[in-house]
Amino acid sequence: MALIRRKWTPAAADEWTREDWITIVLSPLAYITLAIGVALSIFLLKIGFIVLGAGVVLTALMHWVIDPKLKTISEDYEKKQKDYLEELEKIIRWEEIK
Amino acid sequence: MIGCGILFYRLGKRSESDFFLAGRGLPWWLPASSVYATHTAVDTPMWVTGVIYKHGLTGIWYTFFSAWCAISAFVSTRIFRRSLAYTQAEWQSIRFSGLGSELLRGWMTGWQLFMTMFNMGWVGIAMGMICNYLFGWPNWMGLVIFSSVCAIYVLTAGYWGVVMADFQQGIVAFSAILIVSVWGVVAAGGPHEIALKLDVMGQSWRLNPFHFSGWFSGDFPVAWFLTMMVIALVGGFGMGTSIDWYLEAQRIQSARSVRDASYSIWWGTALVVIRNSIWAAAVLAFFVMFPNIKETSEYELGWFRLGFDYLPIGMLGFFFAAILAIHLSTVSSVLNLGSMYATRDLYHHYINPNASQKKLVGIGRLSTILILLGSFLLGLMMEEITKWLIFALWIMVAGVWLPNILQVVWWRFNAWGYLSAWIANLGLSWLVVWILPAFGVIPALPDYLQFWALMVLTALIYIPVTFITRPESMDDLVKYYVMSRPLGVWGPVRREAERQGLLEQVVGIE
Repeated sequence: MALIRRKWTPAAADEWTREDWITIVLSPLAYITLAIGVALSIFLLKIGFIVLGAGVVLTALMHWVIDPKLKTISEDYEKKQKDYLEELEKIIRWEEIK
Repeated sequence: MIGCGILFYRLGKRSESDFFLAGRGLPWWLPASSVYATHTAVDTPMWVTGVIYKHGLTGIWYTFFSAWCAISAFVSTRIFRRSLAYTQAEWQSIRFSGLGSELLRGWMTGWQLFMTMFNMGWVGIAMGMICNYLFGWPNWMGLVIFSSVCAIYVLTAGYWGVVMADFQQGIVAFSAILIVSVWGVVAAGGPHEIALKLDVMGQSWRLNPFHFSGWFSGDFPVAWFLTMMVIALVGGFGMGTSIDWYLEAQRIQSARSVRDASYSIWWGTALVVIRNSIWAAAVLAFFVMFPNIKETSEYELGWFRLGFDYLPIGMLGFFFAAILAIHLSTVSSVLNLGSMYATRDLYHHYINPNASQKKLVGIGRLSTILILLGSFLLGLMMEEITKWLIFALWIMVAGVWLPNILQVVWWRFNAWGYLSAWIANLGLSWLVVWILPAFGVIPALPDYLQFWALMVLTALIYIPVTFITRPESMDDLVKYYVMSRPLGVWGPVRREAERQGLLEQVVGIE
């Protein structure tokens, strides 16, 4: 099995998997490197450009890892959304007591 | 911007969902621009300037609290979007059940109504002070005039007007921040010259984002840095761990899909993080030009001074327009958010559950006016109450930070546990922060120790309360689980959902 799964069934995409955890690690690292990289690059420091480059790569990698899964989750969820919305309206009107 | 109100009037008045969530149909980049624009307020550059002037680039970590979205975008955002709740108060009434959930909904609604008026008063009076500095107006004029102008498009088009104006305001604000900051760096002699001057002044440490005062000592120890990182990043697993969550929650639900919701939060915050770094560079330029300012209130205006003192005369109008855009984007978002709590959680749920869509939009507009008036009152009282309210915000973060995560990731955590955490936190924070140090029982603790102490002490109360009260109804938990698919410790609920045949068995997922 590949390290990063690229094709998902709706049921599999609904589970929390390795791809989510990789994204959870990559995402803060991307923010940290972007923050430091932008500030230091404005001062034309070499380390700034390197860190900024790392931030861009981390951002792209994060999207590459998680996007196929998010697409599958979204497509499947949109089909069920109408029913869930009807239920939500019943709760707010006290037709369904929780 | 006011034209947005007229242009989108017809869309905004169609339904409650349109007036508050733009019909849940926005592509990711629209709520993302709204996240960015909303979190760029007139007091933000003052605050960022304050921490960077004092701590150099290490001060960036003070501004990093917005990074809770790094993890939230892919965890709590996904879970919240699937719940379809309009507000955090409504989400809690789906996640919890019975009397406890209704008590929580009422409490959260009241608190958020107050907070929206407070936030609007806060940024409104900041605008009043800027107008006082620029034009000599009394403070109340800047507060009342610009918030009222903003209310026009919020009243007419609701969230449609807010998000469309935010898109324009975001572009104007980002352009102005970039232009003024680059102008400031050039005015200080350019990038190389600033680095050189810092070196000559013996201040080159200001270019190091990891220059701390020690592990536990000084004004910026590593312990404080790590505490801020934990609060921000781990907080992304929960909902409400940052006060910004309540605004973001509205943007999450306005996105047209789960994927759009995730990307809107991630990219909106990425812009905030990048913006802070651009500001930081400009503030270092300001420091090189004015290194000896001692008064906080004076150096906090540093970035504004770069704009007003160094931009060519012809661009000053553009700069003021940008400040106005920054102001209106924050006020409009907060105004519509407060109105949503008043309409959805108070009027629709408790007063008139069978109200027509037309009536609900009307209530949305009425509550917008009432919140606007309340914000004027609080804004004019701000100097007297600020100290107390900063304390209130702090206690809101410290003791309920962990419960805000537990409500998302632990099936057994119930409404009574959450409520007891809030109540315990109110009492304990007074004791730990003020009363016990005042009587010499404990020493005055640094901020990071206050946070950990409050977190542990509050847990000693809400964890037992959770275990001695009943879990939420399993049927309701199963419904919530199947709809939202939360991350964390949900084993018994999942097994019950599988037993009822509500979940498909997945093979090969680790």
